[in-house]
Amino acid sequence: MNPNLLAAPIALPLFVAALLLALSRWGGRQRIGLQRWLAAVTLTVVLVVALALAQFTLGGQRLVLQMGGWQAPFGITLIADGLTAILLTLTALVALAVLPFAIATIDLHRERMAFYPLFLVLVMGVNGAFLTGDFFNLYVFFEVLLMASFVLLTIGGQPAQTHSGIRYVVLNLLGSLVFLAAAGIAYGTLGTLNMAHMAQRLDAAPMAVRALLAGMLLVAFGSKAALFPLFFWLPSSYHTPPPAVTALFGGLLTKVGVYTIFRSFTLFFPDLLAAWQPLLLGIAGATMLIGSLGAMAQPTVRRVLSFHIISHVGFMLMGLGVALNGEKLAVGFGLSAAILYMAHHMLVKTGLILAGGAVEIEMGGDRLQSIGGLVGRRPLLALLFFLSAISLAGIPPFSGFIGKLTLLQITLDSRHWTVAGVSIVASVLTLINVMRLWQEAFWGKYEHPGRLTPWLLDAPVRRWLVLGPIGALLLLSLGLGLFGERFFQMTTTAAQQALDRTGYIAAVHPVQPESVAGPAETGGHD
Amino acid sequence: MPELYLRLLDRILTPVLLILTLFLLLRGHNLPGGGFIAGLMAAAAFQLQILSRGEVVVRRQVGRYLHPGIGIGLLMAVSAGIAGVLDTGFFVGLWFDIPLGPLGHLEIGTPVIFDLGVFAVVVCVVTSFLLGLNAVAEGVDA
Amino acid sequence: MTQLILALTVGILFACGAYLVMRRGQIKLILGLGLLSHGVNLLLFGSGRLTLGQPPIFADKQNFLADLARGRLADPLPQALILTAIVISFGITAFVIVLVNRRHTITNSDVVQGELVPLLVEGDPFGAEIREGYGYDWLAYEVDEVYERGQMDARGSRVSPDEDESAALEREGYDQR
Repeated sequence: MNPNLLAAPIALPLFVAALLLALSRWGGRQRIGLQRWLAAVTLTVVLVVALALAQFTLGGQRLVLQMGGWQAPFGITLIADGLTAILLTLTALVALAVLPFAIATIDLHRERMAFYPLFLVLVMGVNGAFLTGDFFNLYVFFEVLLMASFVLLTIGGQPAQTHSGIRYVVLNLLGSLVFLAAAGIAYGTLGTLNMAHMAQRLDAAPMAVRALLAGMLLVAFGSKAALFPLFFWLPSSYHTPPPAVTALFGGLLTKVGVYTIFRSFTLFFPDLLAAWQPLLLGIAGATMLIGSLGAMAQPTVRRVLSFHIISHVGFMLMGLGVALNGEKLAVGFGLSAAILYMAHHMLVKTGLILAGGAVEIEMGGDRLQSIGGLVGRRPLLALLFFLSAISLAGIPPFSGFIGKLTLLQITLDSRHWTVAGVSIVASVLTLINVMRLWQEAFWGKYEHPGRLTPWLLDAPVRRWLVLGPIGALLLLSLGLGLFGERFFQMTTTAAQQALDRTGYIAAVHPVQPESVAGPAETGGHD
Repeated sequence: MPELYLRLLDRILTPVLLILTLFLLLRGHNLPGGGFIAGLMAAAAFQLQILSRGEVVVRRQVGRYLHPGIGIGLLMAVSAGIAGVLDTGFFVGLWFDIPLGPLGHLEIGTPVIFDLGVFAVVVCVVTSFLLGLNAVAEGVDA
Repeated sequence: MTQLILALTVGILFACGAYLVMRRGQIKLILGLGLLSHGVNLLLFGSGRLTLGQPPIFADKQNFLADLARGRLADPLPQALILTAIVISFGITAFVIVLVNRRHTITNSDVVQGELVPLLVEGDPFGAEIREGYGYDWLAYEVDEVYERGQMDARGSRVSPDEDESAALEREGYDQR
């Protein structure tokens, strides 16, 4: 397989975003229609590339591209293994589902402020973060996707957006600074920033360096992934932009943080996975519980769903915590279950936020007290919302069930009773929460008929642009649940690949730099 | 806020800044300089224009070219990377030797295109930031 | 000695930055973020070997190994990393300044006051009060500006998204002073 294919998920969205910007006001015209079509075509091509990569890597192989023809520790490496390919596919699916909804609901003012180029740049940043094999490059892609998300969050400039935008930008910037400092310390102590090379040299590094790096990375990535003590930026900002943007963020952004935690702990610190297991599981349990308890107290649909994102990140981290455990079950079962849960979460969460957004636009607001009675007016939307909600809560035919079941199996198998109990409590709370949403938003009587803006689902094209993606994501979730066995085999391959450090290092194959007798390590000239 | 002295001065300073920009851009290949720094320098020239002639005038003259400028710059930079795929791999530099007759020969490659793209992106992004900030400072529009 | 000074500078920058970020004033927030990113940049700079007065370029391409061995050369990689980091923090700082500016024009003050008050009212699960328009600010634009101006036709598609930009500029009144 041609390794240049690895550049496509990064280069193609960037190229088309640049094209859209370049065309945007040429000759004084905006060409919004062209922008929509080009964005859709681009995302479809990216999906095809991701599927091809998934088919290749899930056979147990890795694909490596050394950019610019430079050998590994000197140039920037792109590498795809099973985990990367699965996440690339999911990213393309989520983006493709959000795009029609965005086309239907984003207003003209925002579209003219380069909405579609920013959308593509966000997808490019997410893809790049999944693909890169270079530590500093990972930082750069993080910043790319954060910059795009900053603008997407504040585009339109409503007061609430500006307030939440400042919080979001500042907290994410602080997290990025910790990441950057970690990169500096890694270069200062290990002398390399290529991830495979770092993994090689970390084996010989003193414990202090390893613990410091692992701690800084856990803080930096944990703040991106909205883990327990560092999640405050998420629920205070996700409810302000248009619902399409929230769905995109909820589907993609925190998952990049989770992916980097998975990657760094399996590649750099596999021994800390065992030594820090109480810490990881404690954070996971606290995140699950805080997320679902916080959702109970929230007054609006999107705030409830934002808190659920936090809760579910905890489930994924729980899978990582028991990645190296297994008595009756195989080692790597936990990571595999976590990846499956991630797939379930990305699909269902996006669909549910889209459905909640449709409710919000339909009712002119999403405050639970002031909405209701949608089940009679919009039965199809009600059905889709209900099925997505029970999929999120983990009711059998859907993917949530198999995700939670496998995670529970491995935690019970490795005798972590407390965290298993917490996860069951969190699941029940999730069920209560989504049923509360369902009851408040769809049943009852609507008391403010004057405020209705019933334009969203009346126009036929617009109706299918809104309901189609939600239905498609629901079907994917159903497929993931029905054919769980096969998908679990795929994620198991991916998990074993991710845990196989020597294979990763051998695939990248960092050459040893020519050793030169340098000056003493203190190196001062005073 | 058009300023009289600045308006006189910028007739001299703007060409100097632009020549310096060109110098930095072309020198950047082997020596300190390059697209980013040249772009900042060019944006400084625009800021001088904004200070001397007011944000509104400058926006009316260049405002509509900023978005396409960012796009074209990005297109050039990405194309320079994609061009490498035609040879061996992504972001591999391609070099062409163009004979110029009596003037010797010109060795030019895709990194130059990349640098030009970076230059265009930086000029347009920084200028649009400056226009936005000056608009607030002048109280034109929030 | 040089390294000690560098380490102390990084520490002081971090401390001052952290202090400023936690203040209420928004300008202090921006300054604090600037100090923090400078601190991280200096940390990156220190991650290469400290060499005084040496360029990160091989002076003599034939004997570069000897130069390397004698340490007569700065490590170019941290400098490249710092350049990238500076570009990124420059962009983000500019963005934060624009946001704070906009917030300033909205609230007419650069001090964050009483952020808890609207949150308490809004986040109170037992309160009966409904504050019109607070929770769905982004929709207010949609409904008032686009829908009610009749830019939506019966099938729901928007009328003429390709409006002439120069005409729009003219309408917004960019006339010569």
